[in-house]
Amino acid sequence: MSKLSKMISLLLAICLLAGIPSALAEEVIDANLTCTITLGNWPSDTAPAAEKELFESYRARMAKQYPNVTLVPDYYSYTLSNYVPMAKGGTAPSIFQPPFTDPQLLISQNLVGDVTDALEEFGVLDQFSPSYMEMLSDENGRIFGLPRDGYVLGMHINIQLFREAGLIDENGLPLYPKTLEELAEYGRIIREETGKAGLVFPASETYGGWLFTNIAWNFGCVGESALEYQDADGRWVCNFTSPECIAAMEYIRDLRWEYDILNVDATTTDWAGAHSLLGTGEAAMNFAADDSVDQPTANKGLPVEDFALIPFPAGPEGRYALAGGTCYMFAPDISYEQSIALMAYLKILGKLPFLDDDIIAGMRADYAAKRDRGAPVLPAISAWNDEDYNAAKQEIVDEFCNVDMRLYADFFDSISEGTITLKAEEPVYAQQMYRELTSVIQRVITKEDADVEKALRKAEASFQEYLDDEINNY
Amino acid sequence: MVQSKNKLKGHAKLRGNIQSWLIMLPGLLLMTFFVWEPLIESIQMSLFKTRNVELESFIGLDNFISVIGKDDFLQALLNTFSYTFWSLIIGFVLPIFLAMIIGETTRGKGFFRTAVYLPNMLPGLAVIILWSAFFSGSESGVLNIILKRLGLPAQSYLTNAKWVIPIIIAVATWKGAGATALIYMAGMASISPELYEAAAIDGASVWKRVIHIMLPAIRKLAGTLLILQIISVFQIMYEPMVLTKGGPDNASLSLMQLMWQYAFGGAMNYGKASAVAVIVTLILLLMTAIYSYFNRKESDWD
Amino acid sequence: MKKIQHTGVIREYDLHAAPVKAGYAGILFLCGLVVVVAVFPLLWVTLAGFKDLKEFLSSTSILPRSLNPEPFVSTWKQLAISKNYLNSLISVAGSVISALVFNGLLGYGIGILKPKGHGAVKKLIMLSLLMPPTISIVPLFMNIQKIHLGNSFLPLWLSFGANAMYVILFVQFFESLPVSIIEASRIDGASRLQAFFRIVLPMSKPICAVVSIFAINAAWSDFLLPYLVLRGADKQTVMVRLFVFSTEQTVNADALMRSVVFAMLPPIILFFIFQKQLTENTVSVGVKG
Repeated sequence: MSKLSKMISLLLAICLLAGIPSALAEEVIDANLTCTITLGNWPSDTAPAAEKELFESYRARMAKQYPNVTLVPDYYSYTLSNYVPMAKGGTAPSIFQPPFTDPQLLISQNLVGDVTDALEEFGVLDQFSPSYMEMLSDENGRIFGLPRDGYVLGMHINIQLFREAGLIDENGLPLYPKTLEELAEYGRIIREETGKAGLVFPASETYGGWLFTNIAWNFGCVGESALEYQDADGRWVCNFTSPECIAAMEYIRDLRWEYDILNVDATTTDWAGAHSLLGTGEAAMNFAADDSVDQPTANKGLPVEDFALIPFPAGPEGRYALAGGTCYMFAPDISYEQSIALMAYLKILGKLPFLDDDIIAGMRADYAAKRDRGAPVLPAISAWNDEDYNAAKQEIVDEFCNVDMRLYADFFDSISEGTITLKAEEPVYAQQMYRELTSVIQRVITKEDADVEKALRKAEASFQEYLDDEINNY
Repeated sequence: MVQSKNKLKGHAKLRGNIQSWLIMLPGLLLMTFFVWEPLIESIQMSLFKTRNVELESFIGLDNFISVIGKDDFLQALLNTFSYTFWSLIIGFVLPIFLAMIIGETTRGKGFFRTAVYLPNMLPGLAVIILWSAFFSGSESGVLNIILKRLGLPAQSYLTNAKWVIPIIIAVATWKGAGATALIYMAGMASISPELYEAAAIDGASVWKRVIHIMLPAIRKLAGTLLILQIISVFQIMYEPMVLTKGGPDNASLSLMQLMWQYAFGGAMNYGKASAVAVIVTLILLLMTAIYSYFNRKESDWD
Repeated sequence: MKKIQHTGVIREYDLHAAPVKAGYAGILFLCGLVVVVAVFPLLWVTLAGFKDLKEFLSSTSILPRSLNPEPFVSTWKQLAISKNYLNSLISVAGSVISALVFNGLLGYGIGILKPKGHGAVKKLIMLSLLMPPTISIVPLFMNIQKIHLGNSFLPLWLSFGANAMYVILFVQFFESLPVSIIEASRIDGASRLQAFFRIVLPMSKPICAVVSIFAINAAWSDFLLPYLVLRGADKQTVMVRLFVFSTEQTVNADALMRSVVFAMLPPIILFFIFQKQLTENTVSVGVKG
């Protein structure tokens, strides 16, 4: 992850450039390229009009540059369960957007298409961040995906509730928790003063386990006490019963039974539900990332001035923040022509490290739309090791910035200054691990007398069996 | 003479059979394409090591052994029996009771009948989404608003391991009970009024007439509906999937949901998923066989 | 005034006894309660639709602050659901026809014609009721792709022609028909197929009504196979639209309640138009089962 953090600090530190290289965008680039691609990343019918217009403009540009490439919009909400039958049946959209947890699985099952040659054709193979390379390629170095955007986990704050609870400094900024211990304390104050939940914890399906891994790292579940690791024989082993992991789970139990700061119905709350509760003032804090700041604000109605993003609270043994993201992947049966067309399309979207007036105009339109919707315009975390590209992006962000950056400064500073360590998700079968851990979380927050160690031991045995079945004995 | 006539008859019979099979052919083809062939494919998958839906190697009963050996299988099996148990308590008795009370009304019978049948017409997915919000445990949840009016403390519902299965069954019953009640009502309506009259003259109380005349008359019908209900409850999946996602701590995880998780939940192990489905089928077969053994004389379908 | 008859266990003269009278009053009260339980959730979801997200998540009142229909209008626009109703109509209509024709013919073969070997088919159909259909959705979907019927209503229609439950309902009904009439028509020289359309079908209105009701209900409600098959937004049915909408993580809970109302409305309207036929037909066929 150090590569990523370095990249991000570059992005944040570098100042603007004088000249931006501008391509002659309206010229025909290749009239001989003839194929059809279906676009699963097209906005849904319910997307804001501005977003749809933006994609229409992408399509128009594509039509000019590649007159014989047909683009078919095909909005698709990826889940692993709906993707597999489509990939097998040959109806997967040419391009779609899975989270970073899935590429390795999809690649190993031959369910996605290879774009290495097309990337080489565009000359961007080298600028691709190696940490992403690892996530998106197979053992032979063939590349099957591109990063769309990255995120770093932190915490969303509803300042209205902090104000009501008196947790505000002389500048009107929220006094936010810097450690997990403070989080529990502040949560209790908010609960007592406002009657609302201090923390919303979405403990359904896999969300609970996902957030828990970050808490566990901060309790010391790294290195020798890591939640999963490969032993000397190359066998994958999980460890949920280290003293650190038990302490982390006891912390969750205390949030419910000692501090009583969790939202009711935590075990059925999902990602969207958590944002709803924070956005409507039913909860004061939510573990969430920088890429979802538009959720509680523009989508759920919290004014941007009452919203803050803070770094993930430190634990007794560490200060980590989970970094991940969404990528673009491609249907398994794409032809070479289609892969070229897809890269051209992503180039127009500004997802390859190329800059021209149209791409910049597109970015500006994107940020303007965000600002109009009342969503915070923040610096994005880039996935390309290209200084010019990253600096130009930063310049545009600054122009459209609609928030008091003091409410975000600590979050971004902690990343650029390296006071927080970025860490990727656990390497193998993370979703299944989250599922197992979510079960334990559900147990300890619904049963006051639950035996934490016993529950973890059971989950450990179950996940170990899963690892044995899926990789160790494969 | 006689021989050739018989021969002719035989030909006609053969022709008749062929004609009959031709009439059934379109239906059989569709059954094969939509039901039987996919089923055979899934049964076959349960005996193979699979790479998503492709067969890799025959491994006998390994999928079954691996699936059964896991903690969550036992939990899901117990839960599924718990679903069945609660559906017998709530879902089986309630329609009979509804049919009895609505059958006794004079004014407004049509209205009551319409009202109980209404939920049955609603699309299942829409109804489940409705319930997932209805059973909110927050103070703004509709049930807690009602409890507060009655001076009772707020409760949690779908997050309460003890109550989650009965609640899911209650939800399923809300939708299905009306239609079943109508069938019982028809069964009860076909009982000749003279039987009641005669019993009344003999001095049998209303309650005795229910016990000795009405209930025996619907016994066979109840048996058929019971077995159909068990078959459908045993396959419960969407309700827990949307309402609780199997939680809290697998307290509402059903066997079919476990199958769904194997197939689509991240593992993409269709071999194991199929093994779970085959196990469900075998249990249902066994239960149906036991049922028809005890009802040999009455069963139409043997 | 028409005299109202007691037709159940309780007879006219029982009502002279005080306990029975009280019991009867109790029954009426319970029936009233049943109506409330059946209707209340629908009323609640409609009222909830008038609330915005904040009110929906915070308000401790069942009644909305205002009855302004604006939220419904904006969700309607957000969903762009109008064309989905037409798609649902197309899907339902074809499914019903297919359900009647194919299952009816198969039921006719098993229940009336009974050619040599029909018993095995009957058993096979019974058996398919026991096997959970969800597991075969993936192989089925791949079969549909193999014969290039993706993104078309045809496989959805045809899938309703292969319903074990409907076949069994037909068989049970046909077996109760007087065989003599059908045989008489055969002596007049009608073929087996002609006999089906001329004699059997006209006598089978109740079962056709019931299978139609079941098929309308199921075709309207189905979303998994339609979701996989009807990939393009231009062919999505209302339930597919609702399913997609409910999986979009950016959709708010209040808007979801309104989309539930939209998905329920057509069946409710249909129900009130045909309520008499619905309740009576289900009854008349069900009792034979």
